[in-house]
This record gives sequence, C-alpha cells and structure tokens, in this order.
Amino acid sequence: MLFRIAWKNVWRSKRRSGIVIAAIAIGLWGGLFASGVFEGMMEATVNSAIERELTHIQVHRAGFRDDRSISMIIPGADSVIGYVRHLPGVYAVTGRCILDGMASSPTTSQGVRIKGVDPHDEESATSLRKEIVQGFYIDTAKVNTVLIGRKLAEKLEVRLRSKIVLTFQGADGTLIYGAFRVEGIFESNSSQYDQTNVYVLRRDLFALLGSPMIHEIGVRLSSELFVPAVQRSISEKFPALEVMNWGELAPELKLFLESVDLIMNIFLGIILTALLFGITNTMLMSVLDRVREFGMLMAVGMKRRQVFVMVMTETVLLSLTGGAAGMILGGGTIMYLRRTGIDLSMFAEGMAHFGFSRILFPTIHFATFPILTLMIIVTALLAAIYPAIKVIQLRPASAIRTYL
Amino acid sequence: MPLIQLSGITKTYNQAMVPVRALDGIDLSIDKLEFTAIIGPSGSGKTTLLNIIGGLDQPTSGTIVIDGTDISSMRESDLVDFRLRHIGFVFQAYNLIPVLTAKENVEFIMLLQNVGRSEREQRSLELLQAVGLQDRTGSRPSELSGGQQQRVAVARALASHPSFVLADEPTANLDSQSAISLLELMEHLNHQYGMTFVFATHDARVIQRAHRVVTIEDGKIKSDRKNATV
Repeated sequence: MLFRIAWKNVWRSKRRSGIVIAAIAIGLWGGLFASGVFEGMMEATVNSAIERELTHIQVHRAGFRDDRSISMIIPGADSVIGYVRHLPGVYAVTGRCILDGMASSPTTSQGVRIKGVDPHDEESATSLRKEIVQGFYIDTAKVNTVLIGRKLAEKLEVRLRSKIVLTFQGADGTLIYGAFRVEGIFESNSSQYDQTNVYVLRRDLFALLGSPMIHEIGVRLSSELFVPAVQRSISEKFPALEVMNWGELAPELKLFLESVDLIMNIFLGIILTALLFGITNTMLMSVLDRVREFGMLMAVGMKRRQVFVMVMTETVLLSLTGGAAGMILGGGTIMYLRRTGIDLSMFAEGMAHFGFSRILFPTIHFATFPILTLMIIVTALLAAIYPAIKVIQLRPASAIRTYL
Repeated sequence: MPLIQLSGITKTYNQAMVPVRALDGIDLSIDKLEFTAIIGPSGSGKTTLLNIIGGLDQPTSGTIVIDGTDISSMRESDLVDFRLRHIGFVFQAYNLIPVLTAKENVEFIMLLQNVGRSEREQRSLELLQAVGLQDRTGSRPSELSGGQQQRVAVARALASHPSFVLADEPTANLDSQSAISLLELMEHLNHQYGMTFVFATHDARVIQRAHRVVTIEDGKIKSDRKNATV
C-alpha cells in the first residue's frame, strides 16, 4: 500500500508533477537524440572506413605497416587468399598490390597510394564501385585505366578520359612510369582519402613491375562477430604474417567508438544533474505542502524510516515516469530517423573532411536504456534525500498543528 | 490500576533562551471506560498535556504510565511503536490521507501493524459500519463532509485496537449537527465497546457530555470534577 500511496501522491498535484515530468522527458529526449546522432555518426564513420578500404581484417607481411617498401610482399599470397576464402564468416577477400608514388597531370602532381586490385574481388570486399560518381568502374577488358577520387581530379585538374602519369619505384629501385586513362571518379565520405588514393588493375601494375606482388589481403566478413575467430584462424595457419583487425589497424576509430557510450553517458549524466535540482525543488514543495499529513502519519505510528522510504519512492516514481516518457520519445525519434535518415548535405564539405556521411542515421544501443533507467533512479534518490530528510526531521506534535 | 497514570509531570520549553514551564507538577489518573474532557484556555498547557499522554512529547520530569508501561523515558522508535499499538488519535482537522478512500484510510493503520489483508478489509468495513459510513467506503476524503471525515478518523483511530482514543478538538471544525452526531457516536463507542476517550476541547457541547472534566490553567490542574449533568 505504501507503493500505491506513493504513486497516488505523485498525481496529487497534476500540474506540478506534470511540469517536472515534462522537464525530465524533454531533457532525456534531447539527450537521447543527441546521443543517437553522435553514435550514428561514429558508427557510420567506422562502417564507412571498413567498407571503403579497411575491411574487417588485413593480412600483411610482418613489418609492412612500418616499412611499406615494394619488397614487403606476402609470400604465397594466392594460397593465403584461397585458405581465407573458405573460412566460416568470410564474405569476400581482396588481394592488393600497394605502392606509394606520384600522380601527375600536365598541370600538377600529388603524392598518392596506388592500389592494384582485382576489380571483382575489390567490389565484393569494399564499397568502391558504389562510390563511382562519374564514369565507370575498372574494366578488365581495358588496359591502364585508373579510378581517382573527385578531390584528386580537382587537384590535378583532370576529367574523365584524361590521362595521368603514375610514378613509383620498382623492386630494383628504378623509377617506373605508367600512363593511365581516368576511367572513373569516386567520391567517398572522406575527401582526404579521395585525394590520396587511386585504383588500377592489379594486372597492369604487375606488367609494369615485371612480376606479381601482393602486399595486402583485405578480408570482409559477413558480421563483425566473426572477427576474433577468423583473425585467430589466419594467425595460427600463417604465423609469419601479420593479421590485424580493423580496431588494430585504426585504433583511433576503435577508441572513438568505445568512448561514444562513455561520453554519451556523461552527457546524459550532466542533463540528469541539471534535472536533479528541479526534482528536488518539486519534491520539497510537495512535502512542505503536506507537513500536517506527515505529522499525522508519524503520530499514528508510521516510522520515520517508512516515511523516508515513501518520499524516496514518490521521487523515484515521478522521475521514472518522466524518464519513461523521455525514453519513449527519444527512442521513437531515433527509430523514425533511423529509417528516414537526417540529410546533412548543407554541411557536406565539412562532414566529408572528417569522414562523416552526408546522410546520418542515428542509432542507439539497447544497453543505453537500462543504464539510463539506473541513472534516473540514482538521480531521483539523490534529489529526494533533502526533502526526505526535511520530512523526518518534523516533530509530529507540532507538524499536526501546522496550517498552511 | 488506572489506564493512564501521570505523576509529577513537568514540561519546560526553552523559548529564546527563556525557560517556559508549560506543565507544572501534573498528577492525573484516568481509568478505563472514562469519557474525559481536558479543558482550559489557550496557553494553559492543555495541548502539551495531550501530547505527553499521546506519547508525542516527553516530559521534562515525572512519569507517565499507560496500560502498565512507563513511556516517560522511552526511546523515540519504541514510542512510535507504542503509539501504533496503544493509542488511537482523532485530530481537529481530520488529517485523513487525501489520496486514499475511507476504507483505505482505516486499513492504513492496520497495514502499519502488519495485519493480514483479509483481516484488514473485514475490520475496516466493520468499523466504517460502526461509524455509519458503510455506504461511503470507496469515497475519498474530498468527497465526504467534515462530519463524515471525522467519523472516518474515529474509525481509523479504533482500527489498531487501541487502549484509548485521544481526541484533540474533534468538533472544532464541525457544524452543530455534525458535532452532536459525532459526540453521540463516541458516546456509543464508549458505552457499547468500552472504549476510553480523552478529549482536549473548548467546545461546550463536548464538556457537557464528558463524564469527567479536568481543567488546566498555567500548567496546573485547577479542577477535576465528575460531570453531574451526564
């Protein structure tokens, strides 16, 4: 019955409770929405990096990441690819020949990473084909064609069908030049990536280098969940190779993703702290209105502990009502916008610089809700302490005779 | 043995560092089945005496024994429990819980006593019937008249099977008809169920019907007489 009385007391002054419930609901709605946007942004950035070129797992010769020289080829790359392709959870595998060099047009030059790929494998493993905004994807029937990013095209002042020269060092240290025709222009979420990466047919690079050489094997999985098992399996089978997952390849992305929840919980905590004072104020007004009633309750035999618990329960119920409304509103808004997306085209340039997508799909982890519920309860309990202490300090004999 | 025995009760308040003696050597015995009114002008110590009898306040000196238990030096937590089990309260402003129905208000005391649900329900209905409110069990206090609310308060006071009922100005907020009706009810409960009542009052109607009238002035008992008119 104490619980029922507490619940009924919440609705005793509908306007007063309504205001504080609305404040909590709107505060949490805003907090959850911001959290959803931020989490969506980070998730999209990570997914975009994985889809663009990172893939879930990369295999290199040990030390390749420190010494990207042409000689750091993966020995027996074909057998590695063949083995990885048949592992459970592997969706696609792409072998890349990676060379650092220079792209030159008649007007200017730009340092680039030249990626020789098998178009079919790369299309399965990455989103490269989807990112073509002009021209066509790499055509195996043609020779010496290149895909360049829009930003690089602007820098080199070239268009489709223009010719550019790719320069890189051969295995013997000699400079190798190759003229390539721009077959397609891609545009990813990252303008920086678009300016510094070009894709050519692996076969064309092998012809210029004089022999086939694979420096990197990208492995795309059907789910993030397969990462540990596949990584372990490749490492055990090929102990001489360096097998890294996306989190190890891009620790800054992993850190961002992991810190999003923490940052958002701190953010929601700040909102709840601000609300705490509002809740305290409301509860204080509520208990001061009922001094005589509390006096009566204590006079007839209600223990101070029970009165304390009743005020605490009232505050928790009041706060949870607002919290539930806020979570429903916030969760609903995020679910709706997850379907429709938020168009951020007007900030496209700035967003692209940081690798963010133009269309943002807010998201929220289910785990946020129980954590938030717990945070609301803690906030309510903290908010209730002062009013509850005020109540139990009342002397029943004088409180009974208080007339407001 | 008297139900209530006060011996040498004094109560001193320190108001603005000046000691004020509200009760000054009160000796008073009240037996079971009595229907006693404590009267006196404002500031006479009437309320302080009632608080001490009700275990809501403790004397500066002296002893108070209720139903064989000395409560004058009882710890606060034990006093709460003692009040719950031995004393029924009726207040001037009814002091019902506004969010509960009449039946729930009566049940509430038994809930504090950890009485089982079915017994609570049965007794609360019996008590509301005894005070003539059997058809208003589901009404909230705001839906009842002042007289009806005070009847619910009487039922609530009886719910815990108390040794006596302490009523502080129970008729002060009632119109004449309701006041008389309430007094008749209390007299009936006194006669029929043997319930002891102690009132603090200014109301001449209560004084007229009380079996015994104790007059307090300046913290002392000025007179203690049986009411010849009853």
